[in-house]
Amino acid sequence: MKQSGTTALLQGAVQDLASRVASALPGGGHAPPADTSAGGGPRGDLELAAARLLGADLVLPSVLQRTAPAEDLLALLRRTLDAFPPRPRAAPTVLWSHWGMRRALRLVDVSAPGPDESRAQPGVDWIADAPWPLLTHQLAVLAPLALPATLPAEDCAVARVARERTLDVSRGFVRAIRRRDWQQAAGAGRWLAVSEHVPATLGLDAGLDFVELMGGADPRVYLQVRAARLLRARAFV
Amino acid sequence: MTATLLRQVEGAALGWLSRNRDRFALGTDALTSDGSVNATWKPLGELAQVCSSLRVYIPRSDPLHARVRDLLAFAWRETEQGELLVRLQRAEPFATYPLEVYAAFASAGLRHHGFEEAAAALSRTRGRQLTEQDPTRRLGVVMAQRHSGFGRHDERLDERLDEIVRRTWLGGLPEPWTFERSAGYALTHVVFHLTDWGRGGPGLPSDLAAYLATWLPAWLTTCLEAGMWDLGCELLAVAASLPGPPEEAVPVRDAWAAIADARLDSGALPEEAGAGEADAEDPGDASPFARCYHSTLMAAFAAGLTAGQGGSR
Repeated sequence: MKQSGTTALLQGAVQDLASRVASALPGGGHAPPADTSAGGGPRGDLELAAARLLGADLVLPSVLQRTAPAEDLLALLRRTLDAFPPRPRAAPTVLWSHWGMRRALRLVDVSAPGPDESRAQPGVDWIADAPWPLLTHQLAVLAPLALPATLPAEDCAVARVARERTLDVSRGFVRAIRRRDWQQAAGAGRWLAVSEHVPATLGLDAGLDFVELMGGADPRVYLQVRAARLLRARAFV
Repeated sequence: MTATLLRQVEGAALGWLSRNRDRFALGTDALTSDGSVNATWKPLGELAQVCSSLRVYIPRSDPLHARVRDLLAFAWRETEQGELLVRLQRAEPFATYPLEVYAAFASAGLRHHGFEEAAAALSRTRGRQLTEQDPTRRLGVVMAQRHSGFGRHDERLDERLDEIVRRTWLGGLPEPWTFERSAGYALTHVVFHLTDWGRGGPGLPSDLAAYLATWLPAWLTTCLEAGMWDLGCELLAVAASLPGPPEEAVPVRDAWAAIADARLDSGALPEEAGAGEADAEDPGDASPFARCYHSTLMAAFAAGLTAGQGGSR
């Protein structure tokens, strides 16, 4: 089925942003170009919606390198947080994505401390005992939360679940590749990159290469693979 | 819950196999040079193999035991108590498949002295030993020799088996995300050979058993999600062949529910989702049988092994 015009525009906008973030990650390299056939950069609501989908990764290069983010990205992150305050009964991934953006803002912009309640973490019941396919799917959606444990950031309950269920996430990584779901595979791969005790037989490094080879033309996949490699190599400040 | 499901799948599969028993008959082209092995000896050998194993797992008091024994006796009669296998071996002395088919019967105690003598002599030739085969098939031939009464006293057997196993896809402990259909069938057969189709055998090296326990859930789940019922059943049989308490290493409850749902009204299990919906019992159409017989055999085999492993008999 053909995508509606709005969906295609949003997808293009997310890819555009992902491409920009991936290019700014340490190690350089050129991210695959986003489809800019829509003409020009996204503006207004579309840009905010795209930023919301990319979540905390909007400022990932700055988080990893502890450098100041580009002013426009920082402003975009702030505007996105203001524009989409999660409803109390929102889906857990929405709540956590919002929490992740707030944490990212605290990490890159110490001049703007949020109120204490912004640090409160949503619950993790929905994934703590979830079957491993669902767990992996949800974690992949929340891949921007997969950051090195050494960061001066508060402990994240989702990361704790991911670390405790490394074998399940490894199985989910295999399943995602078997299903040719490159975005899920890349997201799961990023979680594994920050986890201990990944089974050696998984071949995570070769797996990340494979995901990039097969799905890396999509900047969102490429961004997650690049992030995973950096996290795995501890190639950040 | 699972025990009931297993019983239903096993009973329905064996019922279908019994009703379609004559479709396994060798036919007139089994010994002709242009006969199709895949449509003659292969199905019959597979029927014999599965029944040889199930007769060990199903207690004599169970009515299914008599059904399995009847199917095995039928298959043996089809070979004229091994005579046709002797003729097949004479027609193709350096082919290994007559020995592989024979071994399925021999492992159930159905033997032909003349066949074994000739097979032993042929197996001693360098030519036979140098037959170019993939490692999984090679492993099957070595195990077939063992079942057929020779090669058993080979002092280097364990060492040779290990050498062959390490050259298989499974034995090399590959990245699990490289699993595809052909790798899947290769790995299940390595396990079947090493465990004598669920009856023991040399067993799985501990690193292979641990590797399988780690990755089987991912393969099983993705095969069933893709409607690959035949390979799914083979993987369920592998799960039942792993050491350790059932359900602990590889949870299979959901998988069995999916297999039970995939069955046709006739009790047969199609090879894949979307295949074999036509009436597999229509005598005028052979193709539905071809699309169902192996998966139905594997359903009976895996269910029997799982039930035996779980002590639900």
